[in-house]
Amino acid sequence: MRDDIPQIKIKPLKWTPHLPPVEIEDATERQLAAMQVTPSAKKVSPYVRTLVHDPDSYVARTELFNAIMYVEGGLPRPDRELGALGASLVNGCQYCANVHARQHAKLAGPFATSALYTGRRDALCERDAAIMDFAEALTATPPRADQSHIKALRKAGMDEVEIQDLIHSIAIFGWANRLMHPLGHSS
Amino acid sequence: MKTNNVINTTLGISPNDALYELRAFRPNFVDGAEVCRAAVLHPDDNLGLTSDVRYAVARRAAGTGSNPDFLASYPAPSTAELRDFAAGGDPQDRKLAALARHTDLIAKTPSDASKTHLQDLLDVGFSVPQIVALSELLAQVCYEMRIVHGLSLLKDTDHA
Repeated sequence: MRDDIPQIKIKPLKWTPHLPPVEIEDATERQLAAMQVTPSAKKVSPYVRTLVHDPDSYVARTELFNAIMYVEGGLPRPDRELGALGASLVNGCQYCANVHARQHAKLAGPFATSALYTGRRDALCERDAAIMDFAEALTATPPRADQSHIKALRKAGMDEVEIQDLIHSIAIFGWANRLMHPLGHSS
Repeated sequence: MKTNNVINTTLGISPNDALYELRAFRPNFVDGAEVCRAAVLHPDDNLGLTSDVRYAVARRAAGTGSNPDFLASYPAPSTAELRDFAAGGDPQDRKLAALARHTDLIAKTPSDASKTHLQDLLDVGFSVPQIVALSELLAQVCYEMRIVHGLSLLKDTDHA
């Protein structure tokens, strides 16, 4: 069954904001500090320059995002990326889905993302299927995740710390998707 | 980590609970959520969006979560007009009406969002920094809604 999935290579997308981003030469001291712009590091992405219109939330969210996606121990990185991908597909954020599908493929190999991108969800392993089901249910509005999802994650070998990490990596894309998709387009 | 915070209060957990201990294992998640909530509700620079307007938007978005405890975690605005906005009403004021439509769109069906919706906000007088701040505020509520929902599932199965 695993052999008949065509291997998909996902090409990167480029994100372009709908709103004018902050230009470095016009940035306030607080915006420059938030973007960590220094005389030797002046290149900042359009995404960062768009969100730094509000430096308070930009700094707070970025620190939380990095803690959730890169903290040591607990849930393995590929599982966090799959949670991010599941949320992004539900929220229609093509850019985030693309970035995190590629991250997953890089960390875990192309099988799972190839299955998802070719409509072969049925071919996912038990753990990946449990993660995707939970990501979709938690991302719905209102969230409809229930004990059956938790049970499936435990059955697939996840402990409480790992499930907590997964909840966070799905939820933080309920945030990130609501920035990337409404505020810009990808091509 | 502080001994208590909004998410713990909403979940109804205290230091002797297994879920409290589980949360304490990730202090950066716990403290980070508090810092983010403060940054969208009470930022150092409010960019011309009062706390009252921010509360109204937060509560309207939080209402889509069908969780009264979570809804109650955001303060109620002080004016009748904004309280009606918060409760999901249809504002008469053109600017508030556009904000209400945007709040509902982003909270419920973010996949439907497009450039047109941002133009609607610009047309009624919101600035670019205000639109970014509103986007972060709405998204923060949607984040925390899912943290509370997900963690509540672990609470129900404590020691299972």
